[in-house]
Amino acid sequence: MSHAEPDQLAGLALDPDDASEAVREHAQTCPECAALVAAFTGTRRRAGADALVAPPAHVRDRVLADVRAPAPPTAPPPVVVRERRGVPAWLAAVAAALALVAGIGLGRIGTGETPAPEASDPTPVETDDGGEVVAATALTALDSDAERGEASVTDRDDVITLRVRARDLGDEDGFHEVWLINVDGKRMVGVGILADGDDGEFKVPRHLIDDGYRIVDISVEPDDGDPTHSGVSLARGELA
Amino acid sequence: MTIIPFPARSPRRYGDLVVTQPMALEDEADDVRSLAERLVAGEEAALEAVYDRWSPLVHTYALRALADPHDAEDVTQQVFVAAWRSRHTLTPSPSALPAWLIGIARHKVADVRAARARDADRLAAVVSLPGAHELHQSADEDVAEQLVVRQAVDEMPDPRRTILFLAFWEEHSHAEIAERVGLPLGTVKSHLRRGLITLHRQLEGVRHESR
Ligand SMILES: [Zn+2]
Repeated sequence: MSHAEPDQLAGLALDPDDASEAVREHAQTCPECAALVAAFTGTRRRAGADALVAPPAHVRDRVLADVRAPAPPTAPPPVVVRERRGVPAWLAAVAAALALVAGIGLGRIGTGETPAPEASDPTPVETDDGGEVVAATALTALDSDAERGEASVTDRDDVITLRVRARDLGDEDGFHEVWLINVDGKRMVGVGILADGDDGEFKVPRHLIDDGYRIVDISVEPDDGDPTHSGVSLARGELA
Repeated sequence: MTIIPFPARSPRRYGDLVVTQPMALEDEADDVRSLAERLVAGEEAALEAVYDRWSPLVHTYALRALADPHDAEDVTQQVFVAAWRSRHTLTPSPSALPAWLIGIARHKVADVRAARARDADRLAAVVSLPGAHELHQSADEDVAEQLVVRQAVDEMPDPRRTILFLAFWEEHSHAEIAERVGLPLGTVKSHLRRGLITLHRQLEGVRHESR
């Protein structure tokens, strides 16, 4: 005889008297069907749990806040898992153009006709435009000590300029954005996009540095229009 | 036909996954699979939907395992944040989501227990008790499976849900159920058989995926 139908075996598990004689006999001799009856009986015994208890609403808020916040700088490096999104070529081009414009705009503020950063010494005491270096840091990868360039802050006539010279940032899709993370690990501000290669200059309010926004962070950002940190940091260093 | 509103089920506060129409098993499976795929793709709305659907399961599991509301909330939070951060490890399949979430919850519960043992300086006592860990584990698995069954019944469309509750929770006879829901006896029995098969598949899937 072929195996009994699951429906018949479920009926047997629920009420032996309901099953036909043929099904009962088969299930007594066929190990497979007997096992299925036993599994149904076991499942039946799993019933009886009290109603599930939903967590309070604030747990949901906390989960979403945790998920939306960038990984704190003290945490282990965020796992770089970026599902590559299929961005249409025309859209990528538009986003790249926008990034370029934004970068130029920021870079020019307060720096006048600054020569290309490559032209200056890697760790200048006096920059070409006469600003005094008040803080600097080497940039390194998060998951190793691999060098990723350097960043410095100059102060000229009360204009604070963050100068970033990065390298080896990789070729992951997206653009590179510079952030200042507060040493409290809870706050961060985006200061601009590295539009021209891996170097950039950004004018920043003095009080940011004074308030503890001293960790320079470079992220890779997808062209998704989301203004928050992607959570994928390529380089970091603390200004001192 | 009379549908008895039993037991009261609190309406979901979020999401759009409330089952209002009888849904074929296959549709439901596709639904869960595509939710998993959206989560893996990094869609935040998918995380919200996953949370809304399975946070009661995870929270209740943590409550039962830890017997402390505060710890249970913390574990629930940690499970979904960890799920989001490690979403690339999820292989979408119909039962992968609850199995995967319970797997993460198991680890978080173990962490809390270890921390408690350390706090009380009782670690030595715990580890020197042979089989204590295994005891915990099999009790936890029983709880997890009971909760999976509970949720599966909760999510069934009526009248099947009511019929299964009357039979498995209230232990009514099939004839009594037929009278209460106003359906022929054969229909009631058919719902029970199909319902039991659904529960069995759900459990099998969760067992398979969490191994
Ligand atoms: Zn057989």
